[in-house]
Amino acid sequence: MVLLPPLAIPLFGAGFIFFFRDQRAAARVALVLEALEIVALGAVVWQVHVHGALEQGRYLRADGLSSFFLMGIAFISGLVLVYASGYFRHMGEGRFSSPRWFYALVFLFLFTMISVCLSANLGFMWIMMEGTTLASALLVGFYNTEGAVEAGWKYLIVCTVGIAFALFGTIVLYLAAVKAGMSSAAALDLASLMNAAPHIGLDPHLLKLAFVFVIVGYGTKIGFVPMHSWLPDAHAEAPTPISALLSAVLLNCAMYALMRYDSIISRAIGPGFSHSLLLLFGTMSMVVAGLLILVQRNLKRLMAYSSIEHMGIIAIGLGLGGPLGLFGALLHTFNHSVAKSLLFFSAGNVRHNLDTLRMDSISGISRTMPQTSAALLVGSLAIVGLPPFSLFISEFAILSEAFTQARYLVAIVFLVVLSVVFGGFAHHLFRMLGGEPGRRIENSKLIPSEYIAMGIAALCLLVFGARVPRFFGVLLREAIAVLR
Amino acid sequence: MNLVGIATGKVLSSFSVFLFLTILLLAVARRISTSILLFSLQSAVIAAEVLATAFQQKLPEAYVVGILVLLIKVIAIPSAFFVLTRRLKTVRDVKASTTPTQSVFIVAAMIYLSYGAVHSYGQAVHVPDDALAAAVSLILTGAFLMVSRKKALMQMLGLLVLENGIFLAALITTFGMPLVIEIGIFFDILIGLLLMGIFAFRISDTFEHLDVSRMRRLRG
Repeated sequence: MVLLPPLAIPLFGAGFIFFFRDQRAAARVALVLEALEIVALGAVVWQVHVHGALEQGRYLRADGLSSFFLMGIAFISGLVLVYASGYFRHMGEGRFSSPRWFYALVFLFLFTMISVCLSANLGFMWIMMEGTTLASALLVGFYNTEGAVEAGWKYLIVCTVGIAFALFGTIVLYLAAVKAGMSSAAALDLASLMNAAPHIGLDPHLLKLAFVFVIVGYGTKIGFVPMHSWLPDAHAEAPTPISALLSAVLLNCAMYALMRYDSIISRAIGPGFSHSLLLLFGTMSMVVAGLLILVQRNLKRLMAYSSIEHMGIIAIGLGLGGPLGLFGALLHTFNHSVAKSLLFFSAGNVRHNLDTLRMDSISGISRTMPQTSAALLVGSLAIVGLPPFSLFISEFAILSEAFTQARYLVAIVFLVVLSVVFGGFAHHLFRMLGGEPGRRIENSKLIPSEYIAMGIAALCLLVFGARVPRFFGVLLREAIAVLR
Repeated sequence: MNLVGIATGKVLSSFSVFLFLTILLLAVARRISTSILLFSLQSAVIAAEVLATAFQQKLPEAYVVGILVLLIKVIAIPSAFFVLTRRLKTVRDVKASTTPTQSVFIVAAMIYLSYGAVHSYGQAVHVPDDALAAAVSLILTGAFLMVSRKKALMQMLGLLVLENGIFLAALITTFGMPLVIEIGIFFDILIGLLLMGIFAFRISDTFEHLDVSRMRRLRG
């Protein structure tokens, strides 16, 4: 029964919050709902830790890997909702851009993402994955400006087509499983597939075909190059809390789905094929996004390309496999989410105070907006992987796995891209922080909700950089155990 | 008495040809309304195929799926499209970036390509090559329509054709997925189209046209 509340709260919450027209009331209700949701997700994580995998009916299941990702969702969505509660003071009223629409869609979006992580069935997982696109498309187009409408349309079309390919891949996998003698009810079931995996590898062609379609399909959602075209637009045009949710939660959910397929296919036909594809897409994403970071002009698009780069890093970690590779990849999903939320929050503050995100017209903000600038600096230092921040640890783990396996080409590409990205971020950042302030800002002080969200994120980056907390390490080990 | 049996056999042996016909006609169609009708026709062929399979294999679940296809893809979605075209007062031309002759050649090449692609898989899964090739060429044509037609509505239609292909592939290789999943997928498509409709309105509101190729503010 413990698996139902985390789904019921956001689903019914989305309907409930619709009755609150007032912005303050809606924000308060949203915070209460989110607090309940965090408790419900915490209960799932705890139960999985104590009892092992939990099942509920035929379509819901939670194991170590799901609970690791659920914890990430709970943490980041909490930060985002706290930040969002102060965000609406900047926004005007519109027919479909009222706070209640915003919150209702956010909770639906959360519902679909949590369902992805809780699904026991690949078909159900696909339905919910498509649901994430549907729930967030209107949020991407929320501002209703030319850019937002264009980004929303592109997002909807590109991701729907992409995910259609994932459906095809799922069908091919189903076909291979049925051909190998599994019953049609079990052939989409994650746990049964994992158990039966060694026996469905008789026809490797079908399984390879399945994985190619799945990696292209879910890879579109993850933002792998060359299927990434929707990502920078959607991240840049969406309201800031949504950019953070997209980058820090949605991409991880898609990565989670891909991990599930990867573990089934590598168990069936050996890791060679799927892991090479992961390495290929990972390296491509890292290199292309790393180079594009250099030429960005818009602050949020810079963050978006950095997300693509980090998804590449995670894919490389998964593709390398091995104890350190998996450890690094999983830890990096979490670390990247925290750092990217902090960066998007600060970018949002910059936009509100300066009414622009064009980096060439932002200068001298370290004097006009000291607090936001500090957050931006901490986030950027963390995201480029400098110690003492947490991303250093996960990137270092992946890199040492590459050296352990003597994959020098991967290691060199990895290091070169990281240094290019470092240069790019330093170049953009110091131009914005330093220089003469462009215009005076009346009140640049952070309000408490922003303070809390950004403070927690920054603190988390530092703490995880010093040492991965004990409970987190335990959960991480349980998640890795599921994958191996 | 065995008329149904004969009809079933005919449907199963000839539906691929009809599907090829619909995609070739889609390639030459110049008007949005013609394309919508062709999509409806294509879905009707698929619905007939589902019902024929249901009858032949005695699968009660497949009847439900067949009727869903009939209701949603043959009737509901095309009518919604017609309402949308009328309400949006858009020009009726599909605004193709290739001439009809080029399009026919491209689609024909795709059909040829599909036969080549499925050749090695057809025998492995005990499915006639024609059916599998029809499914793959629907997917390819759908993608082709999406990239070569500039109207937002035609992109939605291309997506539907692509989805028809995937649906057909699932059907002929596995006799369909479990019913609950199948219904979930239908539901997703419906919501997706609804949202695309909302966006089509917003595009025509904010840009005063529906030409997707002219939305190019976001680059790089």
